[in-house]
Amino acid sequence: MNPEPYLQLNRVIHEKGRLAIMSMLAASPELSFIELRDALAMTDGNLTTHIRALQQEGYVAVAKSFQNRRPLTTCSLTTSGRKAFAEYINLLERIVQQNRPK
Amino acid sequence: MQPNRKTLRLPSLALQCKVKIMESNWAAENLQTIRTLMERSAVYRRALAPLMLFAGTLGVAAAIIGLWFHLDSMRAFGTLWLGTAVVVVAGALLITRRQAFKDQEPFWSPPTRRVAQALLPPLIAGMCLGVVFTGADLAGGFTMLLALLWVLFYGCGLHAAGFFAPRGVKLLGWSFIACACVLLLAAALRNSDLNLKAHWLMGFFFGGLHLAYGAYLYLTGTGKHAT
Repeated sequence: MNPEPYLQLNRVIHEKGRLAIMSMLAASPELSFIELRDALAMTDGNLTTHIRALQQEGYVAVAKSFQNRRPLTTCSLTTSGRKAFAEYINLLERIVQQNRPK
Repeated sequence: MQPNRKTLRLPSLALQCKVKIMESNWAAENLQTIRTLMERSAVYRRALAPLMLFAGTLGVAAAIIGLWFHLDSMRAFGTLWLGTAVVVVAGALLITRRQAFKDQEPFWSPPTRRVAQALLPPLIAGMCLGVVFTGADLAGGFTMLLALLWVLFYGCGLHAAGFFAPRGVKLLGWSFIACACVLLLAAALRNSDLNLKAHWLMGFFFGGLHLAYGAYLYLTGTGKHAT
């Protein structure tokens, strides 16, 4: 059995909260901070920390604007974020495939 | 005391196998979680506020026309509201298409497809019922029954679409269903007409409620993001 796929998993994405954020963003062009917070039932501080970590890795882009005179923060996946997420999924699939009874 | 190497090798191998199975289970569970999150993320939000406002405005306009011109016979009532429904559906498609074009997204996106699939069966059933009632030109009292059945069918459609749309859509669906059921039961218990003009009822549900929800979405900005 090949132990490699598990060891190759991206540690930044691997964390539960960050993986949830990446999954949500992978299915939408962009999501607002509030939409992410409500969907994932995270606190403001927790979500900010995870988004900052993903932003530092270059996986998530954060844009600030105004809507109806209220500040609006939107997040989206960058190209490298999308690529890293796709690689992560591929590795998970490989782990599942490896141990599937033939 | 030296450990027996033969007895150690077997548990170690068994442990490795167990770890591999656990890894595999964990990976499969993770993939399932990712899939669920991605589905939840891709809810339909495209032009929801303009759609609701458009449907609401036409609903109110149709109710005013019906009341003003006393279109109380089944044929006139059915024709007016079926015609309004066709215009609303056509307009909704145009608004959705325009929004998709503006956001450079495919019109027939997975969330749009899921919402359309959820809405279609009750809408088609309601329209079919409307055509039958109108074609048969039943007595004027049946307009109220038809209006309540339309409210009920539409509520079911909204509720089904609510699984792929913001939470408010499901609540809106429930309110349509609950009100229709209460009014139908009230009519059955009293064994008489509800002394309500069917146009008032249609105007309230298809006009007022749509306008209220559209205004809420517009003011809170939740109906503006496209997916």
